[in-house]
Amino acid sequence: MAEFDEQQNKLTIKLVYYGPAQSGKTTNIMYLHNYLQPELKGEIMVLETQNDRTLFFDLLPLGFKTATGLLVKFKLFTVPGQVAHDGTRKALLSRADGVVFVADSQCSQGTNNAEAFENLADNAGRVGLNFETLPLVVQFNKRDLPNIFTEAAVRERWQATKWPLLFSSATLGDGVCETFNALLAQVYVSMDRQYALQAKYSLDQVAFIHAVLGNALAGAAL
Amino acid sequence: MRTLLENNFDRERSLSDLLNNIDQKKLHGSLSSLLGEDMRLVSGRGELIFGGEAVASGSMPISLCGEFEPIGYIQGMQVDAKARSEACISLLELLLCSAKQYYMVSDLHVEATHADYERLLQKNAALLESEARYKALAENLELRVAEQVKTIENAQRQLYQAEKMASVGQLAAGVAHEINNPIGFISSNLNTAKSYVEKLKAFIDLFKAVQGGETLLAEWNNNNMDFVMEDFSELLRESAAGTERVGRIVADLRGFSNIDGADEEQADINHCIRLACNVAAGNVKGHAEIKLELGDVPSVHCQPGRLSQVFLNMLLNASQSIVEYGVIKIQTSVEEGMVLIRISDNGAGIPEDVLPRIFDPFFTTKEVGQGTGLGLSVSHDIIKSHGGRIKVASKQGLGTTFTIYLPAGV
Repeated sequence: MAEFDEQQNKLTIKLVYYGPAQSGKTTNIMYLHNYLQPELKGEIMVLETQNDRTLFFDLLPLGFKTATGLLVKFKLFTVPGQVAHDGTRKALLSRADGVVFVADSQCSQGTNNAEAFENLADNAGRVGLNFETLPLVVQFNKRDLPNIFTEAAVRERWQATKWPLLFSSATLGDGVCETFNALLAQVYVSMDRQYALQAKYSLDQVAFIHAVLGNALAGAAL
Repeated sequence: MRTLLENNFDRERSLSDLLNNIDQKKLHGSLSSLLGEDMRLVSGRGELIFGGEAVASGSMPISLCGEFEPIGYIQGMQVDAKARSEACISLLELLLCSAKQYYMVSDLHVEATHADYERLLQKNAALLESEARYKALAENLELRVAEQVKTIENAQRQLYQAEKMASVGQLAAGVAHEINNPIGFISSNLNTAKSYVEKLKAFIDLFKAVQGGETLLAEWNNNNMDFVMEDFSELLRESAAGTERVGRIVADLRGFSNIDGADEEQADINHCIRLACNVAAGNVKGHAEIKLELGDVPSVHCQPGRLSQVFLNMLLNASQSIVEYGVIKIQTSVEEGMVLIRISDNGAGIPEDVLPRIFDPFFTTKEVGQGTGLGLSVSHDIIKSHGGRIKVASKQGLGTTFTIYLPAGV
């Protein structure tokens, strides 16, 4: 549930990077932080413990202002992937407007992916999100590592679902913007339905995505 | 919606919120000396957070950046002190960022802890519920097992009794069959013999009347043959009566062991009692006198053989309890729609500590081998299976009274 402040003409959209432990959620938003040049970019807040494990969350604020004066603000959160932090994950997931599920492509991580995805579905239900309509993108990360599931195997597994499926190597930056792009496309539809972005603010999907991604995805199809 | 959002860990926090835990006097002092002159801090909406009242609000305000928009302003800085102003802003922004991080994390921690706690509560409730369910099941199980054990014990007793009855019945049937035949021809022969005696008598009268038979008559009288003839008839009559009695005993035995009758029937309780008395007569004779005070009672839908068994048990117990010579009284009457049978004796009575246990299976006070400890227990079961109940009252040295209630009619 996005937060719309009429007084300040501000729409705050919450996006969450969810997934098993050490699948590369933080790496995803670190790359976005380094690479994207939107009109407004806040300081990234990374709360990691010494061994690179997210303890609470990471936060990357992004934003832009439309010609019609609407401030659109994105808060990109990552959740702690470790099973024990379920309470934190649930709190972070609540009121989310979109989710990227970051899966680990390594063959050894199949069970963890499945459990984390189930946990996402369960927690979505617990915090009152409609998992059927929630904008969601599935990203298979770490494509640059050996011993990974083949693309064909992953596609076969996920083709029955309606969610966009993307492959990435977040440490190299491959597929990170594409994933974010796919999420923004869905989020726009949902936001437009709720806040009439097109009708009230003359903000269409292309402009919405471009304002955040800029030319990061030059030539990429929506 | 607002109130909900106000509690979010990632809500927008105002400048004063963020500086809430910071010693503002110290901060003001540090900033002022860094700038080399007095300053003041105002919120995005222009409200004073801290700082000198005297600072000219007109002097160049410098905005303090929040995430994207200015969160507040510093007033009182000189335009020419740019480097110092920037250092000042930088320091404040770092401070605010750190404060924001602290607040977010602590609020998130509270939220997560709360969520975990809620979950634990739910889990606890579910566990409690399942524990209660298992507890109930366990309790139920014990009850069920006790019930089953009782049923098995009952069945065992019934089986024991049924086998006993069957062997008694078989024996009775065999004896009845074997005795009935000889009894038949004995009684038939006796009848023929009686008619022969009558014929003989007629001939003797004729002989007596014949002339010249004095020596014969003298010899007749010498041998007291008139008495012999009379006694002969009497002997035959007595023998016939004896045979009849044997026949009746056999019939009683058959009736008692219920080998003839259907399982359940309308039966006269008084008849059952008489039957039991007949069977017990041999055992009771010499110990006690049986006094029957049988009232006019309706018939009872029952298994007469089994009820007779109960009465026999009672009679035998009563007779065994009598030390020298006593009285066993059996009364029947109707009370509140029930047929009431009271069997009382003036025997030794039952000790108080034994009384509560007399209906327990296998409980006996008799010498080993003398009693099975099943008599009263089986009697109790039989009465219960007839929808009746049995009561006992006893006083040591005075005697015992068993009272049996049976539902009358169908």
